[in-house]
Amino acid sequence: MGTLGRILMVEDDPKDVELTLTALEDYNLANEVVVTRDGEEALDYLYCRGTYETRSGENPAVLLLDLKLPKVDGLEVLQQIKSDEKLKLIPVVVLTSSHEEKDMVASYRLGVNAYVVKPVDFHEFVNAIKELGIFWAVINQPPPGSVKKH
Amino acid sequence: MVQWKPKLPVSLSAIQRYGLAVLSVSLALGGALFLERFSIRSVEIPLFLFAVAVTAWYGGAGAAVLALLLSTIGFDYFFTEPLHTIYISATDIPYFVVFAVFASLVTWFSAVRRRVEVALRQARDNLRIEVAERTQQASLLNLTHDTIFVRNMSDVITYWNRGAQELYGWTPEEAVGKHAHELLHTVFPAPTEEIHAELLGSGRWDGELDKARADGTQVIVASRWSLRRDERGRPAAILETNNDITDRKRREVEIRTLNEELGKRSAELEIINKELEAFAYSVSHDLRAPLRHMAGYTELLQRNAGTLLNEKSQRYVRMILESAQRMGTLIDDLLAFSRIGRAETHKTMVSLEQLVQEALAEVRQDTGGRKIVWRVGTLPAWYGDRSMLRLALVNLISNAVKFTRVRPQAEIEIGCTDQKQDQVVVFIRDNGVGFDMKYVNKLFGVFQRLHPPEAFEGTGIGLATVQRIVHRHGGRIWAESLVDQGATFYFSLSKSQGAN
Repeated sequence: MGTLGRILMVEDDPKDVELTLTALEDYNLANEVVVTRDGEEALDYLYCRGTYETRSGENPAVLLLDLKLPKVDGLEVLQQIKSDEKLKLIPVVVLTSSHEEKDMVASYRLGVNAYVVKPVDFHEFVNAIKELGIFWAVINQPPPGSVKKH
Repeated sequence: MVQWKPKLPVSLSAIQRYGLAVLSVSLALGGALFLERFSIRSVEIPLFLFAVAVTAWYGGAGAAVLALLLSTIGFDYFFTEPLHTIYISATDIPYFVVFAVFASLVTWFSAVRRRVEVALRQARDNLRIEVAERTQQASLLNLTHDTIFVRNMSDVITYWNRGAQELYGWTPEEAVGKHAHELLHTVFPAPTEEIHAELLGSGRWDGELDKARADGTQVIVASRWSLRRDERGRPAAILETNNDITDRKRREVEIRTLNEELGKRSAELEIINKELEAFAYSVSHDLRAPLRHMAGYTELLQRNAGTLLNEKSQRYVRMILESAQRMGTLIDDLLAFSRIGRAETHKTMVSLEQLVQEALAEVRQDTGGRKIVWRVGTLPAWYGDRSMLRLALVNLISNAVKFTRVRPQAEIEIGCTDQKQDQVVVFIRDNGVGFDMKYVNKLFGVFQRLHPPEAFEGTGIGLATVQRIVHRHGGRIWAESLVDQGATFYFSLSKSQGAN
């Protein structure tokens, strides 16, 4: 693994955050994870405003997005990203509990790059997170202008 | 209609008419000469006048002039001095003039009278024809079942047919002469001035009117008015035809009420459906998350403290994990089941045979090492939702596979027993453990299981899902079995849309 992209995770549930980070840690993918707790904070990060005013302006290599979020929900964040010229290139993976076809269809309509339902089984969950992390943060060549750690 | 020529007195030819002049004058002359023998004198002038009058009456003006001429000559020759000459003395001239004038007057009068009489007869005959025609038309109008009546421009009824009598209960004798709208208590949908303006403008009007019968009951009619104008173009009468639409209107009202009711119901159903959807979403998202956390943290606990836990504690941890796992499966199955009820069906022509093959391919992935004899019969193409029917077949076939597990050689047969124009019955038969028919009504309930989980795994939602799919195809599902003798599951699919 030569380079590692920065992962932006949008997840309101601290337990999910912990479990996801644990899964990523197992594969040494947790170093470059930024966690935001709702849709608004995620957009603040992407637009470098509010508490993220001072960060360098690169886009993350991938965005792991939960759908059910306080304030601005996941689909709204997705819509905002995909309709913004500067942000639309960021790969977005919806990582959700929802099995609902409606959510899946809506996400794909808005241009999501992948849709993953979190498995109940922890091993499966760890595997899913691992593969996501490896694929998007390591294997995938992100669009220009995103953070890569050498 | 018989066309008959009126008999006019002028049917004589010219010869006959002038012959009549000669004849009548000759008879008058003969009569006068005959009477002269008996010394009856001075009757010649009345006789000649009579001859001229008769000729004028029957022979016309020309013949009368001839008769007048001949009479004058005859009178001059036979009755004025000097006799037997046509010489007229000066003293006799006034006499002749008076005679001629008098005869002319008689001729003229009789000609005028005849003309008047001919005209009168013609008028009478025309009238008779018209009366006959009208009578015939009126009796034709009486034959129809439609309600027809005529009223004059003051809305007084002048004609009332049998259909009108049948609809309103008034006889023609009772109705004719009455004011139509007062007799029938007509209620107009628009001001009468507007209706009359339309009638006078276009010559017709139609609309729905409320009227009352003789017995007071209300009747709604589709009414059509036609304006009749007289020969000078003035409005003369209104012909009104009415059709009783009371029943139709009542049904329309009923249908409207039912539709409104239906609209309300479906609005309610929609709300309930929305709530159900929200519920399912919440189950899907909110219940799975804590479950995932439970499993996740237990797993982490096992990993971190595994070596510290004794065997008993390790088993507890395993049980927690298993339970979480099972609850996850239950939630997923329940969601799938609720989705079948909520999803819209997309029905197309589907080859059931191909669908069975697909389902078999899916089920066979988990039958490694088992000996199963498959018998698949021919199945028709049917109208239905492909993915739902596929799911139903997968459920039924995997059930058959599951419950034949104890057999050294499983036998599973899939076929179609009964195919009619609008219905097909598909069956899946196995030689598995079967079930007691006593519990057949529990078979298709949600979370209903007839076997202990140690023997056969499952959430008890598969058959409930199949039943829901079959119901959504307007069909029925049932099963036959004997304990340890295998089971046969049947489901029918209807060609019509079915319950949605």
